[in-house]
Amino acid sequence: MRALVIEDEAAVAQDLAQALSSAGFVVDIAAEGEDAWYKGSVEDYDVAVLDLGLPRIDGLSVLKRWRSAQRTFPVLILSARNDWTEKVAGIEAGADDYLGKPFEMGELIARIRGLVRRAAGRASSTIEVGQLVLDTHRMSATYAGRPIRLSQLEFRFLDYLAHQSGRAVSAGELAEHLYGADEPGDSNAIEALVVRLRRKIGPQVIETRRGFGYLLAGDGG
Amino acid sequence: MPRSLRVRLLLSAAIAIFLALAAAWVAMTLLFERHVERRIEADLIREGLQLAAALSIAPDGTPALEQEPGDARFFEPASGLYWQVTTGKGAQSSRSLWDQHLPAPVNASSLEWRNRIVDGPFDQQILLVERIIRPERSGADVLIQLAHEQKSLHDARQEFGNELAMFLAMLWLILAAASWVQVELGLRPLRHVRNEVETLKRNPRERITAAHVAEIEPLTLAINELADAREKDLSRARRRAADLAHGLKTPLAALSAQSRRAREAGATEAADGLDQAIAAARAAIEGELARSRAAAIRAAPSGDLTPALPLIESLVGVVEKTEFGSKLVFEVNIPDELRLPVASEDLLEIAGALIENAARYAHRRVRITGESAGGGVLLVEDDGPGIGPEKITEALMRGGRLDEAGSGHGLGLAIANDLVEATRGAIMLTRSDLGGLKVTVAWPASDVSALR
Repeated sequence: MRALVIEDEAAVAQDLAQALSSAGFVVDIAAEGEDAWYKGSVEDYDVAVLDLGLPRIDGLSVLKRWRSAQRTFPVLILSARNDWTEKVAGIEAGADDYLGKPFEMGELIARIRGLVRRAAGRASSTIEVGQLVLDTHRMSATYAGRPIRLSQLEFRFLDYLAHQSGRAVSAGELAEHLYGADEPGDSNAIEALVVRLRRKIGPQVIETRRGFGYLLAGDGG
Repeated sequence: MPRSLRVRLLLSAAIAIFLALAAAWVAMTLLFERHVERRIEADLIREGLQLAAALSIAPDGTPALEQEPGDARFFEPASGLYWQVTTGKGAQSSRSLWDQHLPAPVNASSLEWRNRIVDGPFDQQILLVERIIRPERSGADVLIQLAHEQKSLHDARQEFGNELAMFLAMLWLILAAASWVQVELGLRPLRHVRNEVETLKRNPRERITAAHVAEIEPLTLAINELADAREKDLSRARRRAADLAHGLKTPLAALSAQSRRAREAGATEAADGLDQAIAAARAAIEGELARSRAAAIRAAPSGDLTPALPLIESLVGVVEKTEFGSKLVFEVNIPDELRLPVASEDLLEIAGALIENAARYAHRRVRITGESAGGGVLLVEDDGPGIGPEKITEALMRGGRLDEAGSGHGLGLAIANDLVEATRGAIMLTRSDLGGLKVTVAWPASDVSALR
């Protein structure tokens, strides 16, 4: 697995590289924005750790350039700026996680593993149900061509329903799928999730079959 | 000296007007008296000339009159109007003199009319005019004297003085009232400026409007420049504090790399010490950043009204990416049009801290509700374990918790509480019907209407 570490502070970069190597990554280091952007554009990485305050091109711009060039590898932002304004800007620019400096190396490695695992599990395919298109690789969705931002949980909910080919699925079954069999079913959480998804995508996408459960409506319901 | 400019101006105007009117009273009374005196003198001289025309000297050397002056007062005893003609041999006088005489002349040879005020007959003070005439070229001198008592003149002057005083007192009142109106009109622009400075104090981004009288304008311009400078200084200080704190973070990260290396080399104790110091420094930095942000808001409260929904959705988008957030359903019930009286970056910090905190403790659900009651209400609820009533104060407490190492339940809540207080809102912790903690942040309505 390959990781790209973008960090202008040499000591921190070395430390990160060492820790990631011990965790089984092959690590490249970029110390400034232009180099980082170039490496990320031509090499295939499984994950990138991105500092925001960089010489030449700042971290956010590098990230935006990657994303607009369809470079979809997971990116974890590692920044001294730890306020919410920065976090929101980072995530909206296409980052997958955000960690403030100074950080615990253990937590960083755990989060990077999490990102890689999530990305690796995704087959590169799309599912279409009516006007709803789910991209299982990027865990994103579009409805009638309009991109919809989904959380992991929301994506897994839609993904599960999409694979049922029109079958109504009960709240209990959905809860079991989303939260695991050992957790007690919580239909309130599922209801809340449905309400939120209907608001995000449109009221007609998820149908309620009274007594049976939920299903994804195809064309024209 | 009174401190009020209005009282000062009014007092000085009233005193100055009073002094001017008093001087006018004295002068006018004197003028009146002199005028009346001259009239009387002229009358007496006219009568005197008639007297002289009718005057001759009898063979025995006493004065003789062909005709006495006709004024009725000359015939009434002690009437106050008298005449008397005197030669060396004898005298004739008006009947009004009765058995009295006019006083002897001081300068017996004057051929000009002379006047003086003397004590005369009947214990009266009199105005006396007198001269010598010589009816026949080579004849004897005759002293003609005419007198008018002074008391009626005094009475007239007093009456005039009293009436004038009343009139002038009224004039004083009118002029004082006029100067009061003038002072009010003159000070009104200042009051206007004061009101505007008041709004500027509430919201440093406000500026004093340009519409001011020419005399006040330099002041308002100066105030505006001062406000600009203050705002610039504040944001510079805030930026510097933030830069300093952030600048310390990367060296801390480097230090923590050193600590890891030390640990790998077997210096566990040294590494533990380093880690503790790093954690303490980190907590201090985060606490200081939060405090400086709160202080900056307190010093320069924003007048912004921030649309809540897009901002909360952005925050939910971030928290959904975190490890604990990814397993949760976020219910966002915020009306599209809801605007909260907090600057967007401050609302991000407040709501971010609350939502992250809720996500950290929630089991499956986090509910974020917005209401427009008062200045606006933001509710963040979770279905986690909640906080016992005895721990609530501790959770909201600033300072102490912020400096402690690590970031527990309290940190997010304490940061949010600090910021909410700085934005003049209030935070309340109760139990949610979801089962966990319900954080209610309410901003007062007055702020919104005052800043609109």
